[in-house]
Amino acid sequence: MHIVVCVKAVPASTEVKMDPVTNTIVRDGGDAVVNPFDASALELALRLREERRAAGEDVRVSVLSMGIPATERLLRDCIARGATDALLLSDRAFAGADTLATTHALTCGMCELGMPDLVLCGKMAVDGDTAQIGPELAGALDMACVADVRTLMACANDAVTVRAGGDAGVSLVEATLPCVLTVAKEAATLRMPSIAGVLAAEHATVDVRGAAEVGADAARIGLAGSPTQVVRSFVPEQQAAGVEVSGDAIGQARQLVRIIGEVA
Amino acid sequence: MAAIDKHAGSARIVPLTREHDDYLHDESRSHGEAESISFPTTEGEIRAVLRALHAAGTPVTVQGARTGLAAGAVPHGGHVLNLSRMNRVLGMRRDDAGAYFARVQPGVILSELRKNLHARSFATEGWDDASLQALRALADAPEQIFPTDPTEASACLGGMAACNASGARSYAHGAMRQHVNALRLVLATGDVLALRRGEQRACGRHLTLVTEGGTTLEVELPAYEMPACKNASGYFVEDDMDAIDLVIGSDGTLGVISELELALVPAPAVTWDVSCFFTVEHDALDATVAMRHELGCAAAIEYFDGAALDVLRRQRAESTAFSSLVEPPADAACCVYVELQCASEDEALAELARLGALLERAGGSAEHTWVARTELDREALTFFRHAVPESVNMLIDERRRIDPAITKLGSDMAVPNERLHEVMDLYRTTISEAGLEAAAWGHIGNNHLHVNILPRSAAEYAAGKELFARWARAVTDMGGAVSAEHGVGKLKRDFLEIMYGYQALAEMARVKLVFDPRGQLGRGNLFDEELLDSLRQAGALDGDAEKGGA
Ligand SMILES: Cc1cc2nc3c(=O)[nH]c(=O)nc-3n(C[C@H](O)[C@H](O)[C@H](O)COP(=O)(O)OP(=O)(O)OC[C@H]3O[C@@H](n4cnc5c(N)ncnc54)[C@H](O)[C@@H]3O)c2cc1C
Repeated sequence: MHIVVCVKAVPASTEVKMDPVTNTIVRDGGDAVVNPFDASALELALRLREERRAAGEDVRVSVLSMGIPATERLLRDCIARGATDALLLSDRAFAGADTLATTHALTCGMCELGMPDLVLCGKMAVDGDTAQIGPELAGALDMACVADVRTLMACANDAVTVRAGGDAGVSLVEATLPCVLTVAKEAATLRMPSIAGVLAAEHATVDVRGAAEVGADAARIGLAGSPTQVVRSFVPEQQAAGVEVSGDAIGQARQLVRIIGEVA
Repeated sequence: MAAIDKHAGSARIVPLTREHDDYLHDESRSHGEAESISFPTTEGEIRAVLRALHAAGTPVTVQGARTGLAAGAVPHGGHVLNLSRMNRVLGMRRDDAGAYFARVQPGVILSELRKNLHARSFATEGWDDASLQALRALADAPEQIFPTDPTEASACLGGMAACNASGARSYAHGAMRQHVNALRLVLATGDVLALRRGEQRACGRHLTLVTEGGTTLEVELPAYEMPACKNASGYFVEDDMDAIDLVIGSDGTLGVISELELALVPAPAVTWDVSCFFTVEHDALDATVAMRHELGCAAAIEYFDGAALDVLRRQRAESTAFSSLVEPPADAACCVYVELQCASEDEALAELARLGALLERAGGSAEHTWVARTELDREALTFFRHAVPESVNMLIDERRRIDPAITKLGSDMAVPNERLHEVMDLYRTTISEAGLEAAAWGHIGNNHLHVNILPRSAAEYAAGKELFARWARAVTDMGGAVSAEHGVGKLKRDFLEIMYGYQALAEMARVKLVFDPRGQLGRGNLFDEELLDSLRQAGALDGDAEKGGA
């Protein structure tokens, strides 16, 4: 079985700040980390491999990322934690990509790695918050997609059973392979690497490929391949001013009851 | 009570009422009693409070953040002088060699200082020009840290100095002592002693000090030799010692530390934390010895035994607050945790390779390890380490509800390096003979474990106490210390006598009476009150006290 986990480098700071003038994310120089949702996806892949290994099957877990050259460090860390191999798509031509252009690049990467039986993505990235890459990948690869996977229940050769979140609650879904799953953070916590893992990863190769090398269509990647136009991005302003509740305890309680009554 | 309800500067001495109940105990969970309390905000206010209390000889217990584990801050009657409102960083200094120093009030909380240093941002109101200039220089300097880490980051710096706190990183950075460069000590009379490292030294075992008020203190230092290991048992004394070292670790018995100058150090470029799991405790001990010989960048070498890991496993399963804890591997019987502080990633990788190889030799494995290199992973391991004492405390609290006679029983003893296996043997054999439940963790790099008895009944609690006294004797015979970092306070007094003998205690008490002639400060800490009072009555040193003083 071949599993590809798509990972994205995001700023380490959990508080994403927007530049109000340029409408871009302010990278405050903090270290980049693997998007936490992608980390959970990787852990699910590693567990699946352990399970199937116990049953005598070999499972390859590849990590795939599109990013700046420094992302190599994060991919090497994924190998230290147990991934089999890694491919980094890095090229100026990829810069400025929206989710559609990113999807095209990742699809090319997937061809380069060899077509997977299972694609795992984080449910969303903490910096962009679109949650679009997984479903778009499924469309591009013509696979089924289950989003917001909370639990991976079982995985056979031809199908996978998961619990996934949705507007109506949690549902139990079976999807035939190959398919794309997007993973919620609570699905798993990524394991730490071992000393042996870290040392071995230092000698592992992280493949780095440019757009032409993976046969990407120049019109479908980077800024040129991105139909999305960010007109403006902003932090929603606070709608209402606070209300101060004062007076003695009973008086305050009465005021609170009234306020709650008005809202309800 | 002479001074109740009088103003002492703007720090009022007020009667201690039920709203102050919190100030009657510390993290050792022992309770005390007191009649009055004050919350000074400046050294002037401390002096005024002490002057007001001196005439009547009112006992005074100094409190920092009350995270102490030896009941040092638990009052024995009289007045509680609480320093939690003395929480300002007063200034900063950069010396010619480029080293940085922070000048702080004693109530500054460690975690706050860390935050300030990390952000290089301080509330600078009232700072002098030199301090502001040093702060500007800091903006472009490598990040500076205060390296002492007594696990509980809500401790305050005065409290940490008073009990010479240390914790995990003391393996590389030493205890609090090494990082206090100067301090101001308000004496029971209200007079002040200003001490700066290197400026006031003993001549042999005699120390002459002059206060700012012009009083000369002639101090005959005790004759005992301190153990050659980590130690916070009684006063620090050695030939030709620096006077400041007498105050550090004095458990609030000599005076009130009103200001400290702390030596900062540059933050290491790379910090990686490694947890190494073993299936046999003996292998973990062998690995520890090898780590001491072979690792060049270890800042901390810590230990968690099987029972401690089990407590964590249970806590993780039962409490949602702990459900995000990383789960120790099922077959792990114990864990040695190493913090590597290195100058570069290459150095860290080389160190990691050495660590992996020595684990394989010692019966561990380079596979059965967790290497935390990212902030997130390091936070997970910090949570893991902190959850151990916390979970054990919660377990004891639970058992206490069934039998109120049960309280926490944690040891704090250290031995010299070559005695590590022997002392572990002692703990294991005697615990199992006594049929007690226990969990051990702590600073194995310094042969310093906190063995915690987990009593299921009052009888087991009593048996545990007996065991501790037995260990104190054995550890003393091994050339060790009965308290390595928590201080003696009120709970480990008997052990101090076991360690040094009655004569040495009397010598220490005489030192105290030179600083505090009426025996007002930290009553019950280090010495039995009877010993102090009998020495005073014998008029050993006290010319001043009976005359009415200040
Ligand atoms: C979960 C946990 C883990 C811990 N782990 C460690 C550890 O690994 N290593 C370690 O060293 N400690 C450890 N401690 C103990 C504790 O954090 C330290 O002992 C701490 O240094 C005490 O600081 P404090 O401000 O709380 O002092 P307090 O408890 O308020 O006081 C401690 C003593 O100092 C005296 N004192 C306080 N301030 C002054 C002052 N300004 N002048 C004169 N005397 C003063 C008090 O009278 C008292 O005797 C731990 C505590 C907890 C709760």
